[in-house]
Amino acid sequence: MQMGWRWDFTFEILPQMAIATLNTILAAGVGYAIALVVGLFFLLGQKTPFKIVNWINREIVEFIRSTPLLIQLFFVYFVLPQFGITLSAWVCGMITIGLHFGTYLSEVYRGALEGVPKSQWEACRALNFSTIYTYRRIVLPQAFPIAIPGMGNYLVGIFKDTPLLSTIGVAELFHAATAVGGYNYRYLEPYTLVGIIFLTLSIPAAMWVRKLENDVNKAQGKIKK
Amino acid sequence: MTYFEFLNEHGVTLLLGTVTTVKVLVCSMILYVIISMIFGLMRLSKNRAIQGIATVYIEFFRGTSLLVQLFWAYYVLPFFGISLEAFTAGVVALGLNFGAYGAEIVRAGILAVPRGQWEAAHALNFTPAKRIKRIIIPQIFPIILPPAANLTVELLKATALVALVTVVDLTFEAKQINSITWLSAQCFGTALLIYYIIARFALVPFLRWLEVLAARKVGKERI
Amino acid sequence: MRKIYKTLTVLFVLLFSISTVNAKTLTERLADGHKLRLGFGTAVPWAYAGDNGEALGFVNMIALTVLEEMGITEHETKVFEWSGLIPGINADRSDMITGGMYILKSRCANIDFSDPIGVFGDAMLVPKGNPKGINNYADVIRTGAKLVTGTGFNTVEAAKKAGVPDSQMLLVEGEVGILAAMKAGRADAAVQTFFGAKEHEEKTGGAFEVTDPKLMPKETVNVVGIGFRKSDSKFRDAFNVALAKVLANPDKMLERAGKYGYDKAQLPPPDMTTEWACSTK
Repeated sequence: MQMGWRWDFTFEILPQMAIATLNTILAAGVGYAIALVVGLFFLLGQKTPFKIVNWINREIVEFIRSTPLLIQLFFVYFVLPQFGITLSAWVCGMITIGLHFGTYLSEVYRGALEGVPKSQWEACRALNFSTIYTYRRIVLPQAFPIAIPGMGNYLVGIFKDTPLLSTIGVAELFHAATAVGGYNYRYLEPYTLVGIIFLTLSIPAAMWVRKLENDVNKAQGKIKK
Repeated sequence: MTYFEFLNEHGVTLLLGTVTTVKVLVCSMILYVIISMIFGLMRLSKNRAIQGIATVYIEFFRGTSLLVQLFWAYYVLPFFGISLEAFTAGVVALGLNFGAYGAEIVRAGILAVPRGQWEAAHALNFTPAKRIKRIIIPQIFPIILPPAANLTVELLKATALVALVTVVDLTFEAKQINSITWLSAQCFGTALLIYYIIARFALVPFLRWLEVLAARKVGKERI
Repeated sequence: MRKIYKTLTVLFVLLFSISTVNAKTLTERLADGHKLRLGFGTAVPWAYAGDNGEALGFVNMIALTVLEEMGITEHETKVFEWSGLIPGINADRSDMITGGMYILKSRCANIDFSDPIGVFGDAMLVPKGNPKGINNYADVIRTGAKLVTGTGFNTVEAAKKAGVPDSQMLLVEGEVGILAAMKAGRADAAVQTFFGAKEHEEKTGGAFEVTDPKLMPKETVNVVGIGFRKSDSKFRDAFNVALAKVLANPDKMLERAGKYGYDKAQLPPPDMTTEWACSTK
């Protein structure tokens, strides 16, 4: 087996890897969207006045946050069919990522809401604003910039966790690299390419999150333009 | 078979795997703490070259997926002459990856130390090295421990990935049991429980204890 | 503080001294006292690990019998993801791979094989009653069915050669992934080794059945060999000598491997040699 880097092989597999990258981006996007919504549910579970719901919510969130995503994926993928729920690997992956990162996002939401000064809430109360109006016009706009770094970081985090989906057969980038590597019995080029592709996508993404944070802060007058 | 029978038959295997998981966790924890300190300080250096190296390192390891780094360390490094045992490759990949995140936490911690401390040290004629070592570093611990605690729990969860490069840990054993018995709910469920127990009842209390210790050393405890 | 620095330095040195840069051949390493590392994937009944990590499965049994004949009684087992077996041995992750590797031209380009240890065929795994009437690759193409198999399996190449379009292929991790996909209805048929399919039929109590391997194209009948690094040809030759001895008196081997379903019908015919397989398959 040739030990050196083979450029011909690299260009041969590049098209497959490029297509698989699109799949990865899609997986990250969909997973993130689900996580955003799930996070809201977990947040509501925390805020309800019913103590028992609070407690159940807390336990579920802690459990999901403290256990590996990899095993959660295996659990959903292998166990659900045994109870008659057969879902494609893709859907299993999306549900698991959504749940897992939803717990993280609920913490981000919570931190953001708590970051809004108490005086804002009190002022709204004094001015007789309805709860919805309070949230919509006063609290959420102020909570949002606080949440952005966290939300942005988890988007990048989900993107970097998509390779785990390959273990349950989802045809994303890492899976393509393993398949191509397995078919040709060479891992050097495929895995190096995957690393490079990830770098090229996540560094700009991280920079964009930082810029977004800056822009929102400027718009809100928190830092000088 | 009932869950009890399952535990009877496979419990020991899972526990042996857990021992390996803990070993991986402890070794990679030590490595990542050391790297975090070193690179966190380097990132704040006035020397452009040193700062550059640190930044490149941090961006690189934070910008790529841990699984990719792990497979690369295991399957590709040997072609560059570095052949590490699976366990070592796993620990190194985890340590380097989490070290990058930790470095940012350390940097934020150092920046959060009140300016007055730096100035006082300067006024008292401390050398820069002594200033860092005896005044600044001890004070960052109460600041960095909470985010570091989160990061360490993440590390515990990340150790599960080393099963994919032949390290016989808890995740690996769970997969094996699943492939032979197909009792997926039992084996993966038990694995989840074990990770949860380690995180909630061993790791987090330990880290809380460290926080209290650090606060006491800096005089921030409640009297 | 000093003590902590010292212990940490020692820890580091220890950690990195575990690494080995392989410059010696397998024969030399064994003479030095290193244990032979046996690598395989999880493929019941071919090769898989028991609860204590011990090597089970008929290919492992045959390999171990031959190793004993060579005087090697100790070994280490390493379980890989299937597609990592060949890259793994080349990256010095194992010394010998069983797994049930068919000797194929593309594989011969990357590793060396021993003489054949048996002849085997492929088959398809379908739901009971074979509702879509799938018995080979042509049927898959005709019915537009979804075919699942493992990454790195010989069947991936075979399916491609037979013209099965990528859109109809589902690639999963190993035998376990295949059965999981079938059970969850994620694929209409699976293609794997006949033994692998038979194992799945038994495991599911007949919920899935094996198609007749004779209905698969003739080219899918293959010989299986044990894999070695190209640089370990000395060891491989010694292995072949011992293998020939074992095959000449196969009773002990058949007894050990028989537990997993291997029987006389699998004994390799003399005309199917490794050289033949490497050039024609």
